[in-house]
Amino acid sequence: MEQEAEQLVPVQQGSSDCSESDRVSRVRKLLFRRMLVGIKDGRFFLGSFYCIDKQGNIILQDTVEYRSTRRSSPSPMEQRCIGLILIPSPCRTSCHVDCSIDEQLSLLGLK
Amino acid sequence: MAALDRTDEATTTVQSRPRIPSGDNSVWADASPLLHAACQDLQEGDLIHGDNFNLFAAMSALEIMDPKMDSGMASTYYSLDEAIENGAAPVPISTDKTTDVRCIIDIMDHLLACEATWHKGHSLAQTVYSCLYLLQPERTSSHALLHSYCQVIRATCKAVLSVVSDSRTHEEEDLFIMAYGLPLSRDGNERCTAMLNAVEETICRQLRACKASSSKRRVSEDIEPLQNNPDLEEGYCKALLCRLRFRKHFYHLLMSMKRPQGAGLELAREHIASCISEIDHIRKSADFLRANAPEMSEQNITTTASGCQPIGFDASLNSRLSAPTPPRSIKIFCWEKALEYFVKLLHDLDIICSYSLNPSLEAALLFVVKFQKSQPDLVSRAHLQLLLVQNGKLFGRYPMFSMISRAAGLPEVAENHDIQKNEFMVQLEQMVINLLKIICTNAAWQRRKLGKMLQDWRVTFVQLELAFKKEFGNTSNNENISFKIYQHILVWVEEQTYWIAFRFLIVGFELELYSVHDYCMVYWYIYIVLINLAEKKHLRMAMSSGAGKKKSKKKRDSLKDAGVNYQISAPVKFLQSQIYLAEGLAMMLAALRNEGRIVPPQSPFSTEHEIFIQQFELLLKACLPDGISYLTYKESTANANFSTLVMCDYFKEAQKIAKELKSSFPNDPDMIAELKRIEQVAERNNIALNVICRLGTPDPSVKISFTLCHHPFFATAIVKRS
Repeated sequence: MEQEAEQLVPVQQGSSDCSESDRVSRVRKLLFRRMLVGIKDGRFFLGSFYCIDKQGNIILQDTVEYRSTRRSSPSPMEQRCIGLILIPSPCRTSCHVDCSIDEQLSLLGLK
Repeated sequence: MAALDRTDEATTTVQSRPRIPSGDNSVWADASPLLHAACQDLQEGDLIHGDNFNLFAAMSALEIMDPKMDSGMASTYYSLDEAIENGAAPVPISTDKTTDVRCIIDIMDHLLACEATWHKGHSLAQTVYSCLYLLQPERTSSHALLHSYCQVIRATCKAVLSVVSDSRTHEEEDLFIMAYGLPLSRDGNERCTAMLNAVEETICRQLRACKASSSKRRVSEDIEPLQNNPDLEEGYCKALLCRLRFRKHFYHLLMSMKRPQGAGLELAREHIASCISEIDHIRKSADFLRANAPEMSEQNITTTASGCQPIGFDASLNSRLSAPTPPRSIKIFCWEKALEYFVKLLHDLDIICSYSLNPSLEAALLFVVKFQKSQPDLVSRAHLQLLLVQNGKLFGRYPMFSMISRAAGLPEVAENHDIQKNEFMVQLEQMVINLLKIICTNAAWQRRKLGKMLQDWRVTFVQLELAFKKEFGNTSNNENISFKIYQHILVWVEEQTYWIAFRFLIVGFELELYSVHDYCMVYWYIYIVLINLAEKKHLRMAMSSGAGKKKSKKKRDSLKDAGVNYQISAPVKFLQSQIYLAEGLAMMLAALRNEGRIVPPQSPFSTEHEIFIQQFELLLKACLPDGISYLTYKESTANANFSTLVMCDYFKEAQKIAKELKSSFPNDPDMIAELKRIEQVAERNNIALNVICRLGTPDPSVKISFTLCHHPFFATAIVKRS
C-alpha cells in the first residue's frame, strides 16, 4: 500500500533542474528547517517543514501546537505535541523559518 | 485594504512571537512572501518536498481547522480559567436561592445523562467532565450541596473506571478508561460520603420544617429554608433528596461490589433496591420541575428533567484531552434514556449480586452465558468478570485446580494433589481463567478471542496427553490417583474445547455473521461440534459415575439409541435434541439447494469453498474435530433430498426428546424455556418440511425463507406462496 502510494507521486526530486525557478529552489532549501506557522484562531505551530503545494498548503512534521490560554493578550501559552499536520493555506496568517541573520537576507530576500 | 489587514496581522504576530524562541544565534525570518512567490512558479499538482517524502504518510496528517480532526480549535473559551473568569460556572450559580437550587438540579440531571453516555463508551473528558464544576475541585467548597454532589460524582467515576480498567473488558469501547489529566477523586471515601450525608440530613430537616409549617402544627424549628419560595420548598427538597440519595446508594453499591470474594453482594442488593426506588422518585419529580421552569426556557433541552439548559458545561474545553484520538461528536443521552440506562444497569448488577457463588465451574460458565443473553453493558460485565476471577481463584474463594478437578468429576482427594504443579496443569488453570474473562466481554471481541483460544486448548490437550502417556505408558493402572486425574481431566479438556467451539459458532448468529446461504454449512458444523461435545460429555459423566467404559469410542448412533448400553443423562439428551435439530436444518437446507428450490447467489467474490474456510478457519486449524474439511461437508450433504429427508424424522426426534426432557429439569425455568423453544422450532420445521415435500416439483411461486424469531440460533423455515 505504501509503496503504491509512493509510486503515485510524480518524481519531483528531478525537477530541481534548469526548469525550476530560483524561488522554488530557495524554498526547497528551507525543507526540514524549523518553521513557525501562525493561524487565524491565534495558535502557532512549530514543526519541521515537510512539504508545500501549489495552493500553499503546508505540511509540518513533529509539530508542537502553542495556544494562548486567554483571549486577551498577553496571555500565558500552553503547548502540546501533535505530530504531522497539514495547515491549509487559507487559515495561515504568518510563516517564519529559523535561520541565522546572515542567511536571512540571502535566503528570503525577494528580488 | 486586504494588504493592510495582512500587515496588521503581521505586526500582532511579531509581538507575540518572541515567546516562542528561535534557535541559538538565529532569528525567525518571515518566509511568507517567498512561499507565496514560489507557489506561483509551481505547476498545478506540483509539490516541494524532500527525499523522504511519502504521500501515504502525508495523507495521515491532521488537518488544522477541520472540526473533525483538529481538537485544538479554539471554541468559546481558550481555557478553563478564562471560562471561569467569564462566569461560565459561577459559585453559587445564582444569588437568588430558588434559582440556585433549580440550576443545581439541572446540573445533576445533565451529569446523570453524561454519565450514562460515558458508560456507553464515550470519553470521560467529553461527557461527565464537560462539567466545569468538576474540573476544579476546590472551587465549589463554599457551596456544600454542589460540592458534595461533585465529590461523589468524581468518586463514582473513579470507582467505575477502576473496575473497568482492572477487568479489561473494554477493548471495543476503548475511550472509556481514558482519564488523562482529569481530577478524579483524591479524597478518601469517608469524606465523600460524610459530606453527602450531612447535606442530605440538612435537606431532610428543611423538608420536615416546611411540612410542619404548612400544616401549621407548630412553629418550625429555627431552620433556614432551602430556598425563598415557601410554595416550592417541599418540591425542591424532595427533588434534591432523591437525587442525592441515588448518588449515595449508587456509590455504596459500587463499593460493596468491590469487596473481595463477593462478601458485599448482599449489601449491594439492598443498595440496588434503594437506587431503583430513588430513580422512581427522580422520574416523578419531573412534573414539578417542568412546571416551575422559567418561561423563556422553552428550548426543549432533553438532558434535564426541567427542560432547561444546564449551566457550567462545555465539552469543547476538554476535547484536547482526548488526544491522540480525533475529536468526536458526542450526542449526550436524553434524560429519560439515561434513567432507563441506569435501571437496566442496576437490574444487571442485581442479577450478578444474586448469583449463589456456587463452587462449580460449569455453573459459572452457564451463568455468564445466560447473563450475556440480556446484552448487558460494559460496566456490569466488568463487575461480573471481577467477581468471577479474583487472585486466580473462582470468586476469589476456590482454587482453579480444584474447580477443574471437580468439573472433571474427580473425587475430592484429587483437589490437593501435587499434579496441579505440573506445568501443563498450571497452563490449563490459566486457560480456564482466560475463558471466564473472555466470555464476559462483548460479543464481537468474545467471538474473536474464543476462536483464537481454541488452538491453545487443543495444544494443551495434546501436551497433557503426551505427559500422561510418558508417565503411565500403556499400562492401565486404574488404582493410581494421578492416572485417574489425567484421564478425567483429558476428557474434560476435550469437552470444554468443544463447548468453546459451539459457543464460537453460535455467537456468530448474534453478530449476524452468517447469511442464509451459509446456514447449511453452519448448521452442519454445529451438528458436528455438538456430536463431539455430547460424546465427551457423556464419557466424562459416565466416568465420574464410575459406570463408564473407558476410552469407548461411542459415535453418534450409539448416542442416539438412548439407553441401549447405559443410561444417558439429561444434559446429554438435551444436546441430542440440538444435534437432531442442527442435522435436520443442515439436511433440509442441503436438500433445498440440491433440488434447486433455493439458488445460492453467484458471488463474484468467494466460492462456497472459500466461504467455508473463512467461516471455520479457526476450528479447522485447531482440528475440531480431526479430519473435517470442505470435502467431508460436501460429501455428507451432496445426496440430501426431500424423499429421504422425511424418513429421517430429525425434527420429530428433536421435538420428542425436548418434550420428554422437560420433566428432568423441574427446578430450572430457563432450561424449560429453552426446551420449549427447541420443541417449537422443531415442530414448525417439521411442518415446513412436510409442506415442501407435498408440493412435489419446485414451484417458483413458493418462497422459502428462514427466520431466527423463535430461537436465537436455530432457524425456522417459512413457506409462503406469493
